[in-house]
Amino acid sequence: MNTNPELPVPISYIAGNYFVFSVDVATFLRREHHICGVLAGTLPQVPQQNVFTGLPLELMPEEARLLVEKGVACIVDEANFQKQGMASLLEEDRKKYLQDLESQGLETMQMQLRRKERQRDASLKKIEEKKAAKAKKKAEAKHDTSDVPAAAAAEDSVVSFFADSEPSTSHVSSRRSSTLGTVDPMGITPAVSHPLLPQQPPAEHLLPLPQVQSSYPLYAHLHSKGYFLCPGLRFGCQYLAYPGDPLRFHSHFLVVSTEWDEQLDLMTVISGGRLGTGVKKGFLIGGADKSAEESSGAGSNVRTFSIEWAGM
Amino acid sequence: MTKPVPSPSFPHPSALSTFVSPTSTPVTTAAATTSQVLHNLQHQHLWTSLKVHDPELSFPVSLISGIPPHRVYTHPDEQLYMVERGLREEDVELDRMFVLPTVQGQSWSLEKMVAVFDALPDPGDEATESEAQSADDAVAVGADADKAAKLAEYYEYRAKARRTGEWGGKRLLLAMIDKGMGGEGTVVYYVAQEGTVKPRQN
Repeated sequence: MNTNPELPVPISYIAGNYFVFSVDVATFLRREHHICGVLAGTLPQVPQQNVFTGLPLELMPEEARLLVEKGVACIVDEANFQKQGMASLLEEDRKKYLQDLESQGLETMQMQLRRKERQRDASLKKIEEKKAAKAKKKAEAKHDTSDVPAAAAAEDSVVSFFADSEPSTSHVSSRRSSTLGTVDPMGITPAVSHPLLPQQPPAEHLLPLPQVQSSYPLYAHLHSKGYFLCPGLRFGCQYLAYPGDPLRFHSHFLVVSTEWDEQLDLMTVISGGRLGTGVKKGFLIGGADKSAEESSGAGSNVRTFSIEWAGM
Repeated sequence: MTKPVPSPSFPHPSALSTFVSPTSTPVTTAAATTSQVLHNLQHQHLWTSLKVHDPELSFPVSLISGIPPHRVYTHPDEQLYMVERGLREEDVELDRMFVLPTVQGQSWSLEKMVAVFDALPDPGDEATESEAQSADDAVAVGADADKAAKLAEYYEYRAKARRTGEWGGKRLLLAMIDKGMGGEGTVVYYVAQEGTVKPRQN
């Protein structure tokens, strides 16, 4: 799926956090703009764990700001947008939307049934072929036949286990296919409110640039150098800098931002450098020189230093 | 019979004292830090041709430079380049390295760090000097012509890499001592480099 969403993409501002709800937008931001964010939603099928998470994608304020500054995204006051959007909705539109959802669910269900049907037919055909082959062999060899039906039955059970959890006999499946039209539609929970509300929210629901910490220039500087930046809690730093997509690369730096003239405890440098070297990363400290001109956008006046243990 | 009264003078300094104190007593705390790091480099890590530099900055700071007995830092790409050509670290001539002596609890900031790095000589400038040396080396190693050629190629590429910053920009060793707890004498060393230099694969 290589679709590019319509720009600027909406970022929902909800209770002080920035979220992306559309899977197309989330993949687009990661692919084209090196913005990973953090998946913050539980999976509806496995709600009792938080190792694997799904939409929405939560963005750091720095990520949201960077996208807005690049003109890729806009910040939407989602609560007000939803409230007013829903209030101004016509009853016919609401009904039509619900009908759309139902027909979509029905279509999905039928598609799933048809696929199961095909799988079942294919596996049954295979079994038949095998049986025929075995029978042929048996006839030729005239051997003892006591174990053949058991093997066939075992194979049958394996196939049916993969094809469907319900008992699968050709009788049931044929009855099902005849009642395809009256099957219950699958319940669809839309992740985005797009068809119901406009994709580009009206200007009165747009918010100004996100407020960011003083580390933003360093963030922008590293991002402009092509690094993927993730939250650095795991290693006790501000950001983790990856040289490529975090799914493919180990991170290179533990990033800590400091003010230009802020008192810096050298022990921070030592502990960061030692920890970084211990996990095969460098410790990167940096900040923006406020006295220097920002000649070409945020982060151009940033100076950084990479620190590693010397091993002596 | 009277024994000669020992003269009320200081006892003779021990062999160790005479060995390690060729410098005069430092007058400032910064100078004391510098001389402690200098001694550590000289006597524990066996660095040679050590020099103390006093760059003109807005705050008092000294830099030490010297030649380590073996390589302290090799950029990962440089290492790959050397491995591909079968060169070992011992084959390559050693470089002068700068050391910044600091003490725990010292007032420090990013601004000062930048000032120190800006005072360092540009690595591209040194390239001419090392190229001249490499020519000598090439003659000396002459017995193994193949290796000499590879070394020459390496030096040439290194000069270019230094100008472009491909193998990292300016770098120094950050040395830190702790004067608290009576000063236990440990000196820790960290390689600090300008910019985003990818970590070594150690």
